[in-house]
Amino acid sequence: MPHETNIDARVAHLNQRYANHGALDVLGRALKDDQVGRIALVSSFGAESVVLLHMISVLDVSTPVLFIDTQMLFEETVKYQQDVSSQLGLTDVRTIRARPDAVAAHDPEGLLHQTNTDACCDLRKTEPLERALGNFDAWITGRKRFQSNSRATLEFFENEGNKRIKVNPLAHWTPQDVQDYMINNRLPRHPLISKGYPSIGCAPCTSKVAPGEDPRSGRWRDQDKEECGIHFVNGKIVRGPLPKDPPMEEVKPMNTIVTDNGFAPDTGADDFVTVEELETSNAARAVDLPSDADPMVLQEVLERLETIRVDFPTFADGRGFTLARRLRLMGFTGKLRARGHVLADQYAMARRSGFDEVEISPELAERQPWDQWKVRAEWGAHDYQSRVRGTA
Amino acid sequence: MPRRFTPKVVTANDLLLGDVVWQTADNSWTRNISEAEYLDDEDTANARLSQAESQQSVIVGAYLADAKLGDNGPEPTHFREEFRVSGPSTYANAQQAEASNV
Amino acid sequence: MYKYNDFDEAFVRERVAQFRGQVERRIDGSLAEEEFRPLRLMNGLYLQLHAYMLRVAVPYGTLSSRQMNQLAFIADKWDRGYGHFTTRQNIQYNWPKLQDVPDMLSALADVEMHAIQTSGNTIRNVTSDHFAGAAADEIEDPRPWAELIRQWSTDHPEFQFLPRKFKIAVTGAPNDRAVVKAHDIGLQIVRNDAGEVGFEVIVGGGLGRTPMVGKVVNGFVPKEDILPYLEAIVSVYNLLGRRDNKYKARIKITVHENGLETIQKLVEEEFKTRKALFNGADRELFAQIAPQFAAPEFSAAPTDLFDATYNDDPVFRAWADTNLAEHRQPGYAIVTISLKPHGKTPGDATSDQMRVMADLAKEFAHDELRVSHEQNIVLPHVHKRHLPEIHARLRAVGLATANVGLISDIIACPGMDYCALATARSIPIAQEISTRFDALKLEHEIGDLKIKISGCINACGHHHVGHIGILGLDRAGVENYQITLGGDGSETTTIGERAGPGFSYTEIVPAIERLMLAYLDVRENAEETFLETYRRLGAEPFKAALYPDDTGKRKHAA
Repeated sequence: MPHETNIDARVAHLNQRYANHGALDVLGRALKDDQVGRIALVSSFGAESVVLLHMISVLDVSTPVLFIDTQMLFEETVKYQQDVSSQLGLTDVRTIRARPDAVAAHDPEGLLHQTNTDACCDLRKTEPLERALGNFDAWITGRKRFQSNSRATLEFFENEGNKRIKVNPLAHWTPQDVQDYMINNRLPRHPLISKGYPSIGCAPCTSKVAPGEDPRSGRWRDQDKEECGIHFVNGKIVRGPLPKDPPMEEVKPMNTIVTDNGFAPDTGADDFVTVEELETSNAARAVDLPSDADPMVLQEVLERLETIRVDFPTFADGRGFTLARRLRLMGFTGKLRARGHVLADQYAMARRSGFDEVEISPELAERQPWDQWKVRAEWGAHDYQSRVRGTA
Repeated sequence: MPRRFTPKVVTANDLLLGDVVWQTADNSWTRNISEAEYLDDEDTANARLSQAESQQSVIVGAYLADAKLGDNGPEPTHFREEFRVSGPSTYANAQQAEASNV
Repeated sequence: MYKYNDFDEAFVRERVAQFRGQVERRIDGSLAEEEFRPLRLMNGLYLQLHAYMLRVAVPYGTLSSRQMNQLAFIADKWDRGYGHFTTRQNIQYNWPKLQDVPDMLSALADVEMHAIQTSGNTIRNVTSDHFAGAAADEIEDPRPWAELIRQWSTDHPEFQFLPRKFKIAVTGAPNDRAVVKAHDIGLQIVRNDAGEVGFEVIVGGGLGRTPMVGKVVNGFVPKEDILPYLEAIVSVYNLLGRRDNKYKARIKITVHENGLETIQKLVEEEFKTRKALFNGADRELFAQIAPQFAAPEFSAAPTDLFDATYNDDPVFRAWADTNLAEHRQPGYAIVTISLKPHGKTPGDATSDQMRVMADLAKEFAHDELRVSHEQNIVLPHVHKRHLPEIHARLRAVGLATANVGLISDIIACPGMDYCALATARSIPIAQEISTRFDALKLEHEIGDLKIKISGCINACGHHHVGHIGILGLDRAGVENYQITLGGDGSETTTIGERAGPGFSYTEIVPAIERLMLAYLDVRENAEETFLETYRRLGAEPFKAALYPDDTGKRKHAA
């Protein structure tokens, strides 16, 4: 049992102790830390859930995982839950559902969501979860600061209504971090992601999100609702309209484009589509190519493309350099852009492999300012390749 | 019930010289393991490791190593850590014997 | 020997300047260790058990006397007066200080050397036959090709972040002294039916956790196609190699999982397009490189002095019998200087010893030395009349041990005496084996034998291809040594078979002694080597010697 009974003190202590740790560290230590106590992972098996599930499978497969089946889920989610649990070898996945008598009493037709989403969430999510968490001192969530304004100051550890501790190992992760982790660990993706659902909840209340829209905008669309009840337990459920997100550009600073001439903001002039979308969209001139793609898929459409953007999920994933060289060998003469986790020290490699420019996040641009890239901007100098190939 | 905790010392290498060092109770670093802080509580050990990791300008590669309490203070329990205390075991009869005094 | 041109010179100077800046940024705090680590590794700087370690590349193992003298100078000025020659023809310094490393790299640049690509997931230092250019059995000198490959792979923009490290070896002789079949790519210079010289290309060999013998991906690649062909292989690997599990990331696993035929098909397709990138500049470059490796002007002087000393001096004769190899030029010999004095650390040389070897090379050996993957130093071109003096001067500094190819000529990785990855010690095992058999005076009786010792599963000591391999592991906090038998690192590469349960630190040397006595007992005659006897009789008689009690039980049970 935890030594300190005062949850506020424990949370403060934990946040201080783990302030400079990464997600996996925080999670690994939370699973063992006496100050945390008995702990469970609560998972919706949604679009990004697999990250924490994978971490748990690496650290301790016997960690209890609570899966809330609202009985309103997509079929794909139910199937995905079974596949992921067995693939990761999780040994204690507990499915949590509303009490049948409560459903019979409050939502016999299964249509409550049409008239009162909050009451539906209460019945099918909040109450069953609260019940299931009764035996735990702490629970793990996948909430992240970037997800909404109301989460902007999220800490690793939170006091949940003086009842238990809420652990948010991914609090500081960006969307890119999530993608990096999933790619690097080759984790199975929720089947609905490729169908345009970047954030997945219950079937009736989740809609598709258009490219460029906030990923969570598909949840409770057209409603003043940003969080489901379970994240606002706080003793009693607090609801009501939350302030709407300010316009996009203020929330999400623009990416930076690095060329030999310096930094420039990404004006978003190109309208990038996925390789799949390219087949149906004859007008598309710009495409995103993932690092695990076969560049031959673009052979047929190469002539009409103006820009190809190759993904770098992490700086250690050097596939993008060969992809660029292959695209050039296939005859592509348009603009080649490397996007993602590219380091200043790799700029010369990117240029020499055939890229024209690099797109980096605001965070990376801040940490590696132009003067660090500038050192490698004279990428044509001291290059063995151009000697070997006679292009010097 | 928490698992039984094997006592630890925080150890690392000196950033500039590369020497093996151990963390002392007063937050400095010693080249003598018997002066190291002996950590028999897991929370404290983790907290001390975090503090060590934040001293990037002094050390590199900090980690917790198993230790036991001897007559003069902490001692290593695993042979790997014993070599980190004593240096290469080949010194006594290797060409570099003289160099070991440097 | 290859001489740096202005471009090579500017390139290494630029890299030293870059690294000096990176060290400064690390020390002043503007670079975190996580960010600095890949940068220092790109320049050969590791953090080991007791200190940093700097690994310096000796491309294809070739050194001049000036370079060897500089290695000695660096050992004295910034390290502890010695260096360690490795199984990849490199030299490692075990005690550098972080702030000194840029100066060390600068001193290396002064003699056309560097530490680039001696670490990291990139194409590593290209290795070759240590007898290249001198061996009697050679089709063509592999070193000009190795130099061309060095230039092509250095800073190659596509291949700095491969799934895992990538090692290439080249040999020009049918008798493989470069272990080409245990490399990611092995190149064997061959002559086809039409009499043309080209490369047999072998892929997917490697030792480590999953040892595999390389497979021939193409039996004959014309010489002028070798760079595009290599580029095709490495680019196929870059896209296809696994990045989810570092133990499955080497090309040997890629070949194994996808099948040789698939790899062949992909490589041949890629080769067609890659070839367009090379317009002949590589051949011009090769034409500039090749003459720099031309054979020295050989002397036709008489060898009377050698013959007389050989007849009169038994110590010299013993040394000449083991440490000399046949040279392609009559009257010449290839000298192997053993860095395995009985009881000493295999592969270590003090700065004084380095200087003596450099002087001998300058005075008597056309100014050339080689580092062998067996951790010895070679003087490739020596007229036999100089051998008595060379022997005498080596003897004065403890370098005249007559044991090349014998039981005490052991390859051993640094093991837990230095290496942060090791799970057990290797060096003291090597020292005790060589001391023990020297005391028994059995070394020459036993004859040809290669013992190779690794202190962890990564197999830097090549234990899988030792006639006797020893692998040190950590079993529940205690050192434990497994023996493999019948391995072979030559042109008939074979992975050794594990003999049975491991031995403790105190049991391993007596176990090797029992093994050797069993061999002397069962061999057909004094000419039959251990490996031949093993191949004739199989493992049984040797297992019986290793585990006398067990075998008795097993016989009863059967």
